[in-house]
Amino acid sequence: MHARGPWIATVASIAILLGGWITLSWGGVVSDLFLPGPDELWDAIIDLLENGYKSRPLWQHIADSLFRVFAGFGTGAAVGTMLGLMMGYFPTVDALCEPFVEFLRPLPQLAYLVLLIIWLGIGETSKITLLFLAALPVSAVAARDGVRNVAVTRLLVAQSLGASRWQIFRHVVFPSALAEIFTGARLAVGIVYGTLIAAEIIAGNDGIGWMILDAGRFLRSDYVFVGILIIGLMGVVLDRLLLVIEARVVHWAGKQ
Amino acid sequence: MNRTIMTRRRVLMSTGAGATILCLPAIVKAAPPQVNIAFFLSTSPFMICKGQGWIEEAVKTKVNWIEVGSGAEINTGIAAGSMDLGYGIGSSPTAAGISQGIPYEVIAMMDNIGPAEEMTVRTSANIKTPGDFKGKKVATPFGSTSHFRLLGFLKTNNLTQRDVTVLDMRPDAMVAAWTRGDIDAGYVWSPAKSKLLAAGGAVFKTYDKLEAAGYVIADVIIARTPFATANPDIITAMLAAYGRSLDVYKSKPDDAASIVGKQAGVSAEVAKADMAEYDFVPLKTQLTPAWLGAPGTEGKFATVLKGTADFLVEQKSIRSAPAVAAFTKAINTSYLAKAVG
Repeated sequence: MHARGPWIATVASIAILLGGWITLSWGGVVSDLFLPGPDELWDAIIDLLENGYKSRPLWQHIADSLFRVFAGFGTGAAVGTMLGLMMGYFPTVDALCEPFVEFLRPLPQLAYLVLLIIWLGIGETSKITLLFLAALPVSAVAARDGVRNVAVTRLLVAQSLGASRWQIFRHVVFPSALAEIFTGARLAVGIVYGTLIAAEIIAGNDGIGWMILDAGRFLRSDYVFVGILIIGLMGVVLDRLLLVIEARVVHWAGKQ
Repeated sequence: MNRTIMTRRRVLMSTGAGATILCLPAIVKAAPPQVNIAFFLSTSPFMICKGQGWIEEAVKTKVNWIEVGSGAEINTGIAAGSMDLGYGIGSSPTAAGISQGIPYEVIAMMDNIGPAEEMTVRTSANIKTPGDFKGKKVATPFGSTSHFRLLGFLKTNNLTQRDVTVLDMRPDAMVAAWTRGDIDAGYVWSPAKSKLLAAGGAVFKTYDKLEAAGYVIADVIIARTPFATANPDIITAMLAAYGRSLDVYKSKPDDAASIVGKQAGVSAEVAKADMAEYDFVPLKTQLTPAWLGAPGTEGKFATVLKGTADFLVEQKSIRSAPAVAAFTKAINTSYLAKAVG
């Protein structure tokens, strides 16, 4: 599935970035207020690993964030996919739900943040709901389009073989839509991930997103960079994980 | 028709000429094209000179007003060079900014915060002594002067953040959470504070003991050092304008309250009550050793900033704090002395 690109180019681009970073920070071109040097970043990583951040160990910040991402994404993608499948299969459901899904999809999560606090409080519920609402519409739209894009010939073949509506859904529609459902899931993880910082603004004192915000308030760019590194690497791992699952579950995708 | 035909060269020439004309006054007077001023929308006499246009009169060029919600925003803005002055930044972000070498200086004070920022507890939470805070949820905007006081309160009463859940909330979110009953206490300023008090809250007095223990908090006026050095007259005129606002506040408090209320979007009564909690230190008093000190001398405020910075280091908010001399150096009252003079 992966194009085996010239890996030298990848290594070179990372090397150039690292080189530029070292020259800029050690050459004294920019103050460490804006860009911490590699040594300072290293110190910050060690410091965070040893002492944690603001009365919590680093792993707990990571675990808290991951829990929110999994809970929000898991529920949002599950509900969204089920809704999307129904929307694709039953035009009435589509007509009923479409306006809401389409309204919610482009809505910036920060817009309804205060409302969520008023309705659901400051605990985990409001944070996870925010992520749930971020994951739901993308997953729903992907699943619906997946169902709609099932080749008509397959449906006709199944019908002519005497399959019931449920059998067609179970054995033809759902497997065909799986590829797009996974694409939707990967998109949803990205969005949920992007919403994480917004979610952790709500009465925070934990989570990697909150750590970045809090460190940024005091221009602690070393901690901010560590946070960005962690959040970035976690994102790559999550995405790869979905790719692996996708390759196992829908190994036939793209091979008609 | 011939007149309207613009060749590319002519366009270039006229643009060049226009640019030269535009640049000319800058070369002659070296006045900045505009002054970028950060401010808090708050009930303070500063809103008088802002509202009456006295600042514009003082700077004689365009003023770009930037409303901020936290001192951290001012620190970031000045570090990035996009703000020239900050009115009303708290002592806690100021101490952090000076420690981190952000190029600005304290040119005057606005107020000693005193009881204006205070702990509000929910009456039903039954909090009577510091020990009663154990297991309770207290919210405050992190990085603010209120946060500094709250942490000082915990420390002086041998409480840790394991005993008390300290939550980071913006003032408006705090009011929402309070309404739902999610938090038991909040350390914040008005208007949020008044709203908490109105919705089943009571004052839990902490400021007197904390001030005695050295946790003094204040709001100050800062200027980006390169800007102040290049435009000393503008800085002096602006401080004089603020001095006039203080005079109005002292001599005609009701007029002042109505002007300030209109600016801050609250009634004159609310503005008056809110302002009464602050100690707006007169400019002359600021020059005494008890506060900023006369130019070239060390005022007590340098020690306050140093103490605040040390505390922030202890909290791991900033990496290190310089010696008290660095804070004395970052307090420049020469403009203030001229403005009073």
